Amino acid sequence: MLLADFGTSYCKLLETRSSAPPRLIATRTMDRAMKVDLATGHNGKRYATTYVNELTALARGGLQLISDNSFTLLDCGSRDIKYVAYSGGKIKDMGWNAECGASMGFTIELLEKYYTLDFNTMEIPQSSFSVTCGVLGMSHIFDAVVTGESEEIAVAKFVKGIAINAYNFAKRPEKLYLSGGLCNNPLFTGSFPCPVVSLGRFVLLEGLQASL
Amino acid sequence: MITAATRTRAGIVGIPPLAVMEMLAGPEFEIFDLDEPHGKIDIETSSPFLPRVYCGILRTVISNSLVIRPEVIYIDTGAGKCDCAVHTATVLEDILPECKVIRTRNSDNTEFGTPLCKTEMPLLAKMAAITASVQEPAPSQSPPPCIPTVGFWGVPPRDFSLLDFFPTTTHIYGWARCMENKTPDNLQLELHYNPNVPTVFFAQSFCAKTALARHLASKHPHGLYLDCDVTAGNSAKAKIQAFLELSGI
Repeated sequence: MLLADFGTSYCKLLETRSSAPPRLIATRTMDRAMKVDLATGHNGKRYATTYVNELTALARGGLQLISDNSFTLLDCGSRDIKYVAYSGGKIKDMGWNAECGASMGFTIELLEKYYTLDFNTMEIPQSSFSVTCGVLGMSHIFDAVVTGESEEIAVAKFVKGIAINAYNFAKRPEKLYLSGGLCNNPLFTGSFPCPVVSLGRFVLLEGLQASL
Repeated sequence: MITAATRTRAGIVGIPPLAVMEMLAGPEFEIFDLDEPHGKIDIETSSPFLPRVYCGILRTVISNSLVIRPEVIYIDTGAGKCDCAVHTATVLEDILPECKVIRTRNSDNTEFGTPLCKTEMPLLAKMAAITASVQEPAPSQSPPPCIPTVGFWGVPPRDFSLLDFFPTTTHIYGWARCMENKTPDNLQLELHYNPNVPTVFFAQSFCAKTALARHLASKHPHGLYLDCDVTAGNSAKAKIQAFLELSGI
């Protein structure tokens, strides 16, 4: 059975009859005629016979991977951010911000390429910009660079601002479980004001498996 | 002789007092509930007169009024509606000088009961019946109650499509229950919820009731806060769908 999480920038595919790990392909290179058995993600309905809501997939993935029965799991994607919170084993809260949290992951990736930065080696800044979305936050970088700040520090403050915004969106948990491609960005994961446990970018695929 | 042409076009906003609604129920009036979307009236026609970041219901009131052109508008500006309605009334007075804008303060406390809120029926139809009951000064029928499996707390949303996801055994709480009871200024009834069923606490974005909805959702052992603006987007619908699925509904 072929499962897929169709993200804005990347698609994650898992063949359940194979022992191979999930595959990651850039969405823009994907075969538009592809059909999968079970999908999630905002493009998923076009490619699948059965579709699972992204929040449901995230929650079920979290339940598979997290042993606590009270937790907050935040997924930071290319286009949106969403979270689920469980308390005592029951779903307690959730949120999905596709508007004001828009394009955070995508913008971070663009900035890394545009300024030829390496997020693995950048220091986490003391302060941050007040950022509510990737698009609106860009102007802070330009303003800072114009006033003499280095591009690297300006982008680091921007990334920290995005992390703090995502933390506030998830209602400021004591500990945060994180999913999505930004799990691989140490500047981002280190910018949260609380302990972060990175679960990687295949949590929604786990949720799909749990939905079978 | 009263004809369609001679009937007075009367708009209502919120829930005017029963005495007003009894008068408007007469044959000489044609009632328009200005809180509800009518046909294809574009909400953006309100933009020159109200901020775009404002309650979607009151923006609808303005856009409806500009197109429907009521001769008289009864707008409730008491605690049973909201402060935004107070200011919207002022805007209406200025932009529709030919219309008589009458401010009311509904403090009715005769309880008509809430059978619709508690009966088994598709939630969308149930909410539509409650909003329609505002125009009926007599008590509605009394359909039998059902055992609730889910709760919907809040106001009638501007976009009823978000109600499609709920089961027929959803009970209605909050201000919508006050509407059916014809006691819009009844805070005790508005604060009531059922802690034993998963409940969505809904308010229109930019409405003062968002504070109450969010507060009650945090108190409820299994509550979800939800707000949305003019139309219910994918994220709002996905939240409802996931909440119900993950609650075993």
